[in-house]
Amino acid sequence: MFYQTPLRKVIMLAYLLICSYVAMTADYFGVEILTELLILAIIALALDLVAGFGGMVSLCHGALSGLGAYVFATLCTKLGLGAGESILITCVVTGMISWLIGLICSKSHGIYFIMATLAFGQMAYSFVFESSYLGGDNGMAGIPRLDLTPISIDLFDSTHFALFSLFCLAVSYWFISKVLSSGLGRSMVGIMYSEKRSRALGQPVTRIKANIFGLSGIILGLAGALSAQHFMFISPSLLSWTHSGEVLVVVILGGLGTLIGPIIGATAFVVLKHEISNYTDHWHLIVGIILILVVMGGAKGIYGMLESYIEQRKTKAAGPERVLSEE
Amino acid sequence: MDTSFWILQLLNALQLSMLLFLLSVGLTVIFGLMHFVNLAHGALYAFGAYVAATIAASMGYWVGLFIAPLAVAVLGLVLYQFLIKSMRSSGPMAQVLVTFGLIFALLDITRIIWGDLALALDVPEILSGRIDFFGVEYPAYRYFVMFVGLTALVLLNLVLNKTQIGAMIRAGVDNDKMAACLGINVERLFFSVFCVGCALAGLAGAVAAPLLSVVPEMGLEILIPTLIVIVIGGLGSLKGAIAGSLIYGFVQTFGSVFAPQFASVVIYLLLAFILVTKPAGLFPAKGG
Repeated sequence: MFYQTPLRKVIMLAYLLICSYVAMTADYFGVEILTELLILAIIALALDLVAGFGGMVSLCHGALSGLGAYVFATLCTKLGLGAGESILITCVVTGMISWLIGLICSKSHGIYFIMATLAFGQMAYSFVFESSYLGGDNGMAGIPRLDLTPISIDLFDSTHFALFSLFCLAVSYWFISKVLSSGLGRSMVGIMYSEKRSRALGQPVTRIKANIFGLSGIILGLAGALSAQHFMFISPSLLSWTHSGEVLVVVILGGLGTLIGPIIGATAFVVLKHEISNYTDHWHLIVGIILILVVMGGAKGIYGMLESYIEQRKTKAAGPERVLSEE
Repeated sequence: MDTSFWILQLLNALQLSMLLFLLSVGLTVIFGLMHFVNLAHGALYAFGAYVAATIAASMGYWVGLFIAPLAVAVLGLVLYQFLIKSMRSSGPMAQVLVTFGLIFALLDITRIIWGDLALALDVPEILSGRIDFFGVEYPAYRYFVMFVGLTALVLLNLVLNKTQIGAMIRAGVDNDKMAACLGINVERLFFSVFCVGCALAGLAGAVAAPLLSVVPEMGLEILIPTLIVIVIGGLGSLKGAIAGSLIYGFVQTFGSVFAPQFASVVIYLLLAFILVTKPAGLFPAKGG
C-alpha cells in the first residue's frame, strides 16, 4: 500500500531542490546528463506503478516510451501539429496502446506476463524499424521543442529544458501518487497480494489491471515526448528490449514499490554510467555485477534499504515498552 | 518464382528452424524442470561460437565443434554453482533480473577476451561444396546444420521417451516433490539437465558460427527468436520446442518472401494471438 510518508515528502522536496540547483549551476554536459536521468526517472516511475503496486513486471515500458517519442515526432514533423497539442495527443495515444496491451496481457502471470510484454515491446520495435514512413533504421530528425516563450521560458536553452523535465517528473510523481491513493490504486494493490481474493470480492480484476497499465502509459507518453524533444532526433534503438530491461534495473536498484526509489535508482544509474565510462569502456560488466549483487542481496534497493534502516532505528530508540504499548 | 525457388525457401526455413531448435530445446527443458528462466542462454550461445571460432583457427573445425559445447557446459556448471542454485526458489522477476545482469556481464567479458571485431570461421573442406536437390543447389554446410538439429531432436526424443533417465526427467517436470519422494535425486538431475542445455546452446553457437559473423551481440540477437519459439510452443516441452521452431522458421522465411516489410511484425502478431488464445503455448508441459 502506498503512503506519502513524511520521509518520502522530505526526500522528494530535497531531490527537487538539488536538481534545480544542479540545473542552474552545472555546465552544459552536466545539464544534459541531468535531463537524461530525469526522463529515465519518469519512465521508471511509470514502471513502478505497474510492477511495484500491481505485480505486473513489464518488459515493454522502455519500448512504450519510445513509441511515445515516435508518436510525438510523427505528429510534429509529419502532420504539422504544434508541440503542445502533440504532447497531449501522445499521452492519450500511448495510454490507449498501453491499456490494450495491459488488457491482453492481464490473463497471464509470472514469467508468461514478462514474455508477453517483451513480445509486444519487440513488436513495436520491429514495426518502427521496418516502417519506411517512420524513417526505419535511420530514425527521424528535426523534432521541435515546445514553445514556451510567452511565459519567458526558452526550452532551447538546456537549463530551461532540464527544469521543464524536472517539472514533468514532479507532475508524474503527483499523478501516480494520486492514482495510488484512489480506489483504483488500492484495488490494484489488493490484486497484487491476492488475485483470487479480489476476484471473490467482486473486483473486475482484468479491467483494473488494464486501467492501471493505461494510466502508466499516459506517463510513458509524456516521457517519450520529452525524450524526443531532448535529442530532437529519435531512432528505433529507443524501443529496443535492452532499454526496457534497463528501466527494470533502475526500478530494482532504487527500490521497487516506493515511487521515490525509482527516481533515486535512475539518478544513481545514469550518474554511475557516466562516471564509469570515464574510466573504462566496460561499464556494462560493472552494472551487470551490481545488478546481480543487488538482486541476490534481497532486492530492497537503495531507498528500500534506507527506509528499513530508519524504521529499525526508530524501533530501537522507542524501546521495547513503547512498541508494546503502541500495539 | 518457380519450384526451385520454393524448394530453396523451404530449405532455408528448415535450416533456420533446426538452429532455433538447438537453442530453444535447452532453454525450454531447463525451464520445464527447474522453472528457471535463463535469459543468458543467448550469451552462452555466443560464447560457444567464440570458443569454436578460436579453436577452429588453430586445430580445425571439428575439434572446435567438439570443444565448444564442453566449454559452454563448464561455464554453465560454474554459473549453476554460484548463481542459479540460490536463485531457484525466487520469483520470476528476480530470475529475469539476475540473468539480465548476466547478459551484460558476459557481453562485456566476451568483448574483453575477443575484442569488438567480428571473427570469421570457415566452413570445413568436406562441407564447402553444394549439394543438388531436385535441381536446387544448396550449400552442403546448411544441410549439415539441419542434420545436427535433426540428430539432436531424435536423440533427445529417444532419451526422454525410451530411457530411465528420460522417465526420471519427465517425472521431475510433472511433479518434482513426488519424484524426490520416489527416490530420484532431483537436485542432481536438474544439475545435469542444466549442463546438457548449456552444451546444446554451445553446440548451436559452434554450428551457427560459419553461417553468421561471430560478434559479441549475436547472443542478444538470437535471444528474442528463441524466447518466441518457446513461448509459442509452450515452456518446458520438447514437442513445443519442435513446433515453435518450425513455426518461427517458416513464418519468418516465407513472411519475408510475401511481405518483406511485415515479416517480423507477423511473427509477433502470431505470438500475441497465441498468448491470447492459449496463454500457456501450443503444447504446455503440464496438462493446463
